Amino acid sequence: MDIERPNGSPRSSGGGGLPVGSPRQPGARPRGCDAGHRHHLAGWEPLSGEDLLERLRITGRPRPRAHPDLVERLRSGLESGLRAGGRGDIGGRPGSPPSPPVGLCHPAPLVVTKDRLTRALACEAHHHASESGQRPVSVALACGAIVDALFRQLVTVGSIGDAMTDGLAALAVDDRRSDLVGWVERLSGTERDELGAEVERQAEGLRRRWPALDPAWLPRTQEAMRVRLADGAFELSTRVDLAIGRPAGDVASVAIVEVKSGSHRAEHRADLHFSALLETLRSPAPPFVVATYYTRTGELDVDPVTDELLVGAARRTLMGSRLLADLARGAEPGRTAKPLCGRCSVLTDDVGQRHPGGPGPWAHGDRDGDGAAR
Amino acid sequence: MTAVERTAALTGPPLAPVASTVREELRDRLVEGVGAAVAPLPADDPVVVTLPLLRRARARPDLLASAEEPFAWRPAFVRRSLGLAVVDACADGRFRSPLDAVGPVASLAVDRWRETGWRTFHWEPWMAGLAEGARAVVLAEAAGWATSLWSSLDWSSLDPRTRIGGADDQWVCPASNTVRLKGRSDVRVPLAARGPRAPAEGNREAVALVSLSGGCPSPAWREELAYLALVASLRSPSRPVPARVLGLWPDAGADRVVEVDEGALTAAADLVAATVTAVVEARHSVPA
Repeated sequence: MDIERPNGSPRSSGGGGLPVGSPRQPGARPRGCDAGHRHHLAGWEPLSGEDLLERLRITGRPRPRAHPDLVERLRSGLESGLRAGGRGDIGGRPGSPPSPPVGLCHPAPLVVTKDRLTRALACEAHHHASESGQRPVSVALACGAIVDALFRQLVTVGSIGDAMTDGLAALAVDDRRSDLVGWVERLSGTERDELGAEVERQAEGLRRRWPALDPAWLPRTQEAMRVRLADGAFELSTRVDLAIGRPAGDVASVAIVEVKSGSHRAEHRADLHFSALLETLRSPAPPFVVATYYTRTGELDVDPVTDELLVGAARRTLMGSRLLADLARGAEPGRTAKPLCGRCSVLTDDVGQRHPGGPGPWAHGDRDGDGAAR
Repeated sequence: MTAVERTAALTGPPLAPVASTVREELRDRLVEGVGAAVAPLPADDPVVVTLPLLRRARARPDLLASAEEPFAWRPAFVRRSLGLAVVDACADGRFRSPLDAVGPVASLAVDRWRETGWRTFHWEPWMAGLAEGARAVVLAEAAGWATSLWSSLDWSSLDPRTRIGGADDQWVCPASNTVRLKGRSDVRVPLAARGPRAPAEGNREAVALVSLSGGCPSPAWREELAYLALVASLRSPSRPVPARVLGLWPDAGADRVVEVDEGALTAAADLVAATVTAVVEARHSVPA
């Protein structure tokens, strides 16, 4: 079973709809659009309830089928590229040590996450600095972590109480985030009020717009995905905010949703594609859709999964993984800041130059609080 | 592999029963080998062998000598026990999915503890004191764990006597009370006696074990899965050796099956001996 309409249920003109009579948590969230609750942003109205779910479910494309040949090609391409080592697509670099045979270099796997990929591809110097130093906490990161926790709570228990209280209580029992609680408690009154107001604003958006998910669709939050490659020398690893749909059989049945509390960033789609690649490599069929839900605006950015998307994700993953392997072997990081590196605009010491017009604290999102395990 | 195919592989007829003499030889071998390895340890310095220890000894031997952190409840420690209760409730037909079940099952356990003081899971008092946001994290973790197990098997085709959860298998090495083997299987499935071997002694009441783990299968997955069968067979010499063990690694979308025979059990016993030796050496390497 996936999040398809049950057999015999009438279909909408869009080719499908929600199961009739799907459950709703009493008093928690809408099942459809409520005009009175819609948020208006320059004439654009975010989707809510059933409309939001429909947007996620109806991609306008046929659901991908299990494609063992494609999966084998993706896997073998990654395997052979990683075994070959070096910087491959972007060429070798003077000073890069020769690549020893895989297996001798990293007894423990080199863990490749979406954050590491993005950092390395955007700016090697910044990635290098990030890996060797403690990650700075920011108001935006704290907001992202709290909103992530609230989203998880909403999906699991169907309601959110006092947003800051619930969010901080969740972080306090989360080993990966518990340090944020002390940081928030040490904020000045003004900063904490500002954070609390933004968290409450985004939580209210979630309460009003995010649809109740039928438990029969097996929604699971913070789902880990891991794929080992090249005899275990590399481990691709991610954690998605929400996966819906029973594990795929012959036809794709899983949708993946990432929640972001900040604004659009170019790498969000690449992050989603990385998750789609991992789900494809670990499951019989790819996910049929990946999407980012922006809690600040209520926008849902939907990306149907295609073969081309997966091939592109594999290429990017290979390129970034090679870079990460080179850096792990001690290669000198490139020192050129790139436009994709949002952090270089505020961390000039890493690269010796500053981008004009760095993003503000809410716009930056600092990876929206994504943890190191992602 | 689909849940139906995986379940069919799990519940197929056992290949060949392990002779009781093999089990006795393995037991003697472990008593001798492990007993000698731990001889230098003081009696109050026990070695408890578990599946996570076997894995850590290979992946992170540098951590073997580390002192264990003082125990404190956290969501990851509740995940499995609550998750198993959730799967049990779904398999019984009380709920249609893990997300439906997780809240009521947790609440029922806490309510029972409040009424009677009885702790079925041990975490009830901790859970009772959690704020709503923290409780939601625990429920989400357990629901995720349970969903992985629930969607991995075709529960409708399993023998009704299938046991979900239950006590760990334990065996204390009789040569030395400082070594204890613990095996934790998530599901025990009775295997129907069928096929040409059905009447033969040893096929009756054979079981298959299921173990769910995080991460990816290690290179030693065969020995690790066979370890669960080894502990079960040492613990209960009168029962048949488990016929097979299914390992599930949902993070990686991986599953592996070990058919338990003499070779598999011997390899598992060798892994135990090597791990105990590594633990003893690590403890000796720590300056007093």
